Amino acid sequence: MLHFSRVKIFFIMGAIVLGILFSMPNVLPVGVRDNLPAPLPRNTLNLGLDLQGGAHFLLEVDVKDGVANKLKAESSDIRKILRGERVRTAAPVRVDKEEPYINVTFKTFADEEAGLPLLEARSEPIDENKINSARTLNIENISELRYRVSLTDEMVSYMTERTINQSIKVLRDRIDPTGTMELTLAKEGSERILLQVPGADNEEVKKIESVIEKTAHLSFHEVKNPDSPLELQVCIEEQTCPPGTSAYLDEERGTYLLLTERPILTGADLKKSDPGLAPQTNQPIVNFTYNFAGANKFCDYTSEHVGELFAIVLDGKIISAPNIKGAICGGSGYIEGNFTIQSAKELALLLNAGALPAKLRVAYKTQVGPEMGADSIRAGKAASMLGLLGVALFMWLSYGLRFGTIANTALAINIVLIAGALSILGATLTLPGIAGIILTIGMAVDANVLIFERIREESALGRGPINAVDTGYRLSLAPILDANITTLIAALTLYFVGSGPIRGFAVTLAIGIVMSVFTAVVVARLMSAVWLRRARPKTLPI
Amino acid sequence: MFDFSLVRYLPKDANIPFISMRWVAMVLSIIGIIASIFLFSTRNLNYGIDFKGGTVLEFSIGVDPQAELENIRILGTSLVEGEVGLQTIARLADEETGAERPDGLRLSIPKQPALEGADNDDKAQTAAFKKVEAAMVAAYPNYEFLSEQILGTKVSGELKKKGAMAVILALLMVLIYIWFRFEWQFGAGAVAALAHDVILTIGVFSLTRLEFNLSIVAAILTIVGYSLNDTVIVYDRIRENTRKYKTKPLEEVLNLSINDTLSRTIMTSVTTLLALVALYIWGGTGLNGFAFAMIWGVFVGTYSSIFVAAPILMLLGVKRSGVQK
Repeated sequence: MLHFSRVKIFFIMGAIVLGILFSMPNVLPVGVRDNLPAPLPRNTLNLGLDLQGGAHFLLEVDVKDGVANKLKAESSDIRKILRGERVRTAAPVRVDKEEPYINVTFKTFADEEAGLPLLEARSEPIDENKINSARTLNIENISELRYRVSLTDEMVSYMTERTINQSIKVLRDRIDPTGTMELTLAKEGSERILLQVPGADNEEVKKIESVIEKTAHLSFHEVKNPDSPLELQVCIEEQTCPPGTSAYLDEERGTYLLLTERPILTGADLKKSDPGLAPQTNQPIVNFTYNFAGANKFCDYTSEHVGELFAIVLDGKIISAPNIKGAICGGSGYIEGNFTIQSAKELALLLNAGALPAKLRVAYKTQVGPEMGADSIRAGKAASMLGLLGVALFMWLSYGLRFGTIANTALAINIVLIAGALSILGATLTLPGIAGIILTIGMAVDANVLIFERIREESALGRGPINAVDTGYRLSLAPILDANITTLIAALTLYFVGSGPIRGFAVTLAIGIVMSVFTAVVVARLMSAVWLRRARPKTLPI
Repeated sequence: MFDFSLVRYLPKDANIPFISMRWVAMVLSIIGIIASIFLFSTRNLNYGIDFKGGTVLEFSIGVDPQAELENIRILGTSLVEGEVGLQTIARLADEETGAERPDGLRLSIPKQPALEGADNDDKAQTAAFKKVEAAMVAAYPNYEFLSEQILGTKVSGELKKKGAMAVILALLMVLIYIWFRFEWQFGAGAVAALAHDVILTIGVFSLTRLEFNLSIVAAILTIVGYSLNDTVIVYDRIRENTRKYKTKPLEEVLNLSINDTLSRTIMTSVTTLLALVALYIWGGTGLNGFAFAMIWGVFVGTYSSIFVAAPILMLLGVKRSGVQK
């Protein structure tokens, strides 16, 4: 056990030198680090959000909201098709008020016979390129002439996935339009989005939150004249509106307007938006240009509806309902509303990034101010220094200068190697991770203690120094490996099952275990061997 | 020269009759376990928001908050469902000027009922948080944001499930490893010792009402690792000694093995405790709970290796070649 070949020594020293090289950047001043010559590593430990400040969000897409929107559109399509084929229904085709399905009730068997194939034709394969692809709609026969149309589970999960991917894209354009921020935006699990903004202060996080919350569904709607004031009243109070319409409050006028649900145009028909000021009033407005199709549609619509109102709706609220004074065919327009310069700017940004396909909810959020993070780092440094000092002193006192120094040198190398390994792996150091390192400091000497105790025992049995040290190392190997592999199993379980900062803890603990075995079993053994060969002691100072 | 290794004063041939104390230890352990289970089922744990959902806001009002505590509590409670919790948190002195900084506050808003029409409480949670924060900003001109955490019930429920799963999975994996490396009796003994540690740790958290959060789960898994480390060292020596002393009765072998490894057990516990005490005192409020759990774990883990893991082998027996037990 005490013989080391030159090759072995070369590799051991190599590993230590690499560890030092890779951990160096963490302690060098920034100026020196940035000017290191090319082959030298410059990577430092990544600090977790809890240490450098910033925010961590888990956003959940509102699947229900997406399903409701889809059903609304579907019911309006079904209505149109049935009407086109002169199929009569006993009640207007509508989305159920409570449950996510569309009620279709045919008037006669003849209507059913004609209408059912039309309904069934609406259910398309989700993926047209796949044979046997699941279909989009479920059509159930509830009772005579009554049908229930709902989205299939496959369709819902397909929509969820697409919604998430789109949302991620939209969020990136909204939060970081210039692409300069260090942003993490990724899918997490099947219906969540992970958003991390390291280093952001409270102001920045507030701004980000406000753009997450807005779906920014912009749409232009026709304003219908109700047949009677009563009809509008019933629509507002009982939510039973003429089919294809809904009542919206126009805050500016203080009255409700009856709008068609199917929009004339949506935000998707816009090409570009900019904040600006109205020429006469100097009020903040949002200027926009239509894309080609949008310009044509709007031109056609406005030339046919001169003198009528149309409403601009943003996220379910009318922001303005201007009068059409004449055909608008220039391909551009503007939105007035009660904007401030700030809110006009924000709306332009949101319109440029596009609407979120569904509402997002914050299911989890942690935010740490930069100052708090700095405090945690200081506290962590203090605790690890003092812990290290305590352990080192204790080891010296217990095992004397010779063996104490061997153990403490191994401990120091251990810490350097942990820092180096974390830097190479690009691992993130979190607050629990610091706890892991401090704990490792305490437990790392365990392997050395085991070996030293064994050496003491063997020496007490009458073995000479070299023999005792050799036997000590040899007999300690199995228990050291067994004990550390089991701890490693616990750490790995924690890594795979845990989440967020806890993973940071598992990583440091696992690396710490591996490194402490290496330093005790290999590095400390090398040191003991060199000392024994040089000093040839008659007795062991232990 | 410098010939002062104090470890020499540890007894080399300790011969403490640990195994004959096993009945006393068993009674103590069983009482502890029953008490823990009783505490857990009657008063449960003081779950942090990681596991029950809710919101925590940490902030400073720029001055010593002691005089304002009651006002803040009343103000916060008036804005949300249920009563807000309030705690002061110590802060380090300013790094540059060295000036003392006033304590911060940790305000926790309990789980809010879901808003009407919503299928979960995520929105209600965020809304409650915003109301309280806005009120604090308005009431205290020197308001300074420190940190916040918002958790809906759904995510917290998942975290709880995941945490429990991690502990159970770790125990299972370890059982398999030990079974593979030793005999099944050792695997059973080790897992009994670990279960003992986990249950007693949960009991202590139930008793002290200290906050039980994700980092405590991490601590429990680390305790499992630490205790196992200890147990495996003792087991390894038992295995060695059963081969060496083929004719000694099992009780003597077990006792001898524990005593053989005793000085190592003490040394390692002390160094680990030194590091943990440093963490507890200087590591900041964020790691207090973790450090406390671990300190407890070092004691209970060491105890269980000696008084649970080893004596169980007396009950289960150990296969030994060539001797009659």
